[in-house]
Amino acid sequence: MSTLGTRTGTTSPRPGELLLKVDGLAKSYTSKGKRTDIIGNLTFSVNAGEVVCLVGPSGVGKTTLLKCLAGLHPSTGGEMSIDGRRIYSPPPEMALVFQDYSRSLMPWLTVEKNLRLPLRHLRLPQSEVRTRILDALAAVGLSHAAKQYPWELSGGMQQRVAIARALAYRPEILIMDEPFASVDAQTRFDLEDLVLKIRDDYGMTVLLVTHDIDEAVYLSDRIVAIGLRPAVVLEELTVDLPLPRNQLDTRALPRFAELRNHTLSLIQHASAKPTPSAMEDAVPGAAGAPA
Amino acid sequence: MPDGVRLSPSARRASRSGEPRSLGRFAHLAYGVLGAVLVLGLWQAAAASGRFGSGLPSVLETLSALAGLLGTAAFWSELGATIGIAAIGLAVSSVIGVVFGVLAGRFPLVRSATLAVTEFLKPIPPIVVLPLAVMIWGPTQQMAIFLVIVGCALAIAIQTIAGVEDVDPVALSTARSYGIGTAESLWRIVLPSSLPFIGTAMRIAAPASLVVTVVAGLLGGSPGLGRSIYLAQSAGEVANMYALVVVLGVLGVAAQGISSAAERRLLHWHPSFRKTGS
Amino acid sequence: MNTRKIISVAVGVLVPIALLAWWYLASAGSLNPFFPPLRDIVVRFKELWLFDHFATDVLPSLGNLFVGFAIAVILGVALGFAMATVPVLNAMLSPVVQFLRGIPPVALIPILITLVGFGNEMRVASIVIAAMFPTMLSTIDGIRSVEPGLKDVGAVYRFSRGDRLLRVYLPSSLPQIVSGMQVSLQVAFIVMIASEMLGSSQGIGAMTLLAQQSFMSADMWAGILLLGLIGFLTNILFDLVKNRVLSWYVSSKRLERAA
Repeated sequence: MSTLGTRTGTTSPRPGELLLKVDGLAKSYTSKGKRTDIIGNLTFSVNAGEVVCLVGPSGVGKTTLLKCLAGLHPSTGGEMSIDGRRIYSPPPEMALVFQDYSRSLMPWLTVEKNLRLPLRHLRLPQSEVRTRILDALAAVGLSHAAKQYPWELSGGMQQRVAIARALAYRPEILIMDEPFASVDAQTRFDLEDLVLKIRDDYGMTVLLVTHDIDEAVYLSDRIVAIGLRPAVVLEELTVDLPLPRNQLDTRALPRFAELRNHTLSLIQHASAKPTPSAMEDAVPGAAGAPA
Repeated sequence: MPDGVRLSPSARRASRSGEPRSLGRFAHLAYGVLGAVLVLGLWQAAAASGRFGSGLPSVLETLSALAGLLGTAAFWSELGATIGIAAIGLAVSSVIGVVFGVLAGRFPLVRSATLAVTEFLKPIPPIVVLPLAVMIWGPTQQMAIFLVIVGCALAIAIQTIAGVEDVDPVALSTARSYGIGTAESLWRIVLPSSLPFIGTAMRIAAPASLVVTVVAGLLGGSPGLGRSIYLAQSAGEVANMYALVVVLGVLGVAAQGISSAAERRLLHWHPSFRKTGS
Repeated sequence: MNTRKIISVAVGVLVPIALLAWWYLASAGSLNPFFPPLRDIVVRFKELWLFDHFATDVLPSLGNLFVGFAIAVILGVALGFAMATVPVLNAMLSPVVQFLRGIPPVALIPILITLVGFGNEMRVASIVIAAMFPTMLSTIDGIRSVEPGLKDVGAVYRFSRGDRLLRVYLPSSLPQIVSGMQVSLQVAFIVMIASEMLGSSQGIGAMTLLAQQSFMSADMWAGILLLGLIGFLTNILFDLVKNRVLSWYVSSKRLERAA
């Protein structure tokens, strides 16, 4: 369904094939001789065309995880690969949408130029650049705002710009870090539906980190629940809600409530007893989650 | 930041890829010493090469000149004169600046009457009126003090105005509703809450007052180290001149250090201190 | 409310005019050697600067000012960039920089005189050295305070090193750099005057000091007036350019304050 194509050069996986693999990822900091483990031993994977949500309580180290994934932070153990190639630095197949939209857009550039900046080093023909920008702006419903500055727009619109920037870059996987944490509820619903639309229109793989369980259930094909520190996978569950989804009907399904409650109990249980010794027994699957 | 990952700032910086890793404390110090040694070495090499003739004394000559100066009473009295002029000038400037600033900040009519004049004078440094001051007072202490006032009072006043305009209007109307008079509210509300701004102004004005004092001595012949430098230069005592410039550098660094420490110490209690801390 | 505003504007305009008029009238026929009649000052101003000494003194002064300032800004930004992005360089140079910054800029002039003599190179060199520091220090500050989120964007989207420096770090730190440049301009102006006053016979500063030493007070006042105007006008010009270059910054701050 990927009508607009993805990045050139690599043979990208077809829908359903393994795209991103995280195997035994660990991250710790040593400060003043004291070691702090942020991520224990994290294993999961994302297949092409999937929407996967990482859900965990606040403070679990989700942002650190994403920064490792994106090659922004070096990990201290395990390995990650995309398209079968190990990740050491930001991989070209990946685009990131940050939580804090106001700090991730260049305030001295108009919306259009913000979208154009990452495309510079791809050395595309001008016409291609223009098409990508127009497409991306249309996809997020901001065609009218191309000439405006980000700070002239509302928070939700700014986050749309950040998403459009990622779309114009045409990554194989779009990684989003709590992207809707600081917008109001209505905007949040709109942006969630935007993510589903992007997946449908662009065939884009999405990995989204959130602490909002309802959001995770609504968006995901699969949920990876993460427990408290150091972060380990508590459980992976498939979200078997019918497609296409919409805010009213999907959220009213009894299955939605089941999945939601199950995930919630996982997370609550995990946040209730933060185990300092979790590092030792943080073997995948052995995280002792109540089923 | 919902993921409350608490790290020491250095760990945070070091871990961000694409960013140069920060240095440890010891390495920082070692490199600093290395840099200073390198610069001194360059100086020494340049002096030894003889390219600048007698215009550039060696490091050793400068240091021995400095040691010689420190043993003379004249040096200490010039140093005292420099600090004294700067301090008196700064004190008078702060009185003028704060009084005028509070009036102009509080009474719009005073502000608009003086706006054009202050805006015109703001970018004009005291050195511009130095010839006039020298003509009137000659190479004296008064002349130098006058120039320090010209250089510092307006800057303090402008900061004070900003501070006064920042005063919580609710506090003022509350004071009015309790029947507190204008003068008392100026003293009890307006002045204390604009203190952080005045503190910032003083932190900047203190080193500036030293600079103006040196200018007055160097170009106007008023007592102090500026004059000493001028005399050393015209007498061809090059090593002494370098030694005096080194002294001024130390003095300048000390003035900056002391004034920022004083600002922190005196105003750390103030809730709005962070606002002006830069 | 509105009448109050009108009054304040009227006062703002009338008071300076009244002051000038008062100066003119009160000084008319003045025999005070320090305060000659304003009329005489204006006459001398015209005779001296328009345009008898314009090419011989005013232009060289202004030329030194702008050449020195321009070189200082280029060096300051380049060194600031280098120090802010290369920790080793920063660690090595910062003690030296801190010390040099403590020296009053004008005190460097006698040193440069002994090194390179009284020529024009000395004047430009003094301006460059003294005016470099404010721009350099504010560049370091600006680059250090680049939003980490923007750096992450640059990394994730794999910006080239050039794009990162010129299209992220530079624009992001431009507000700080420009305010440092404004201080540099003021320092350059001071050092321009001082370098002319210290043993030179050319330039506005030299002429003004010479007039004072020979008790030609109207000439001296004409010099002070010209220097004052130059200081004022260069600053205004700088503000205009600043507001243009940083229009995104100015508008976004205004919006932020209004919110």
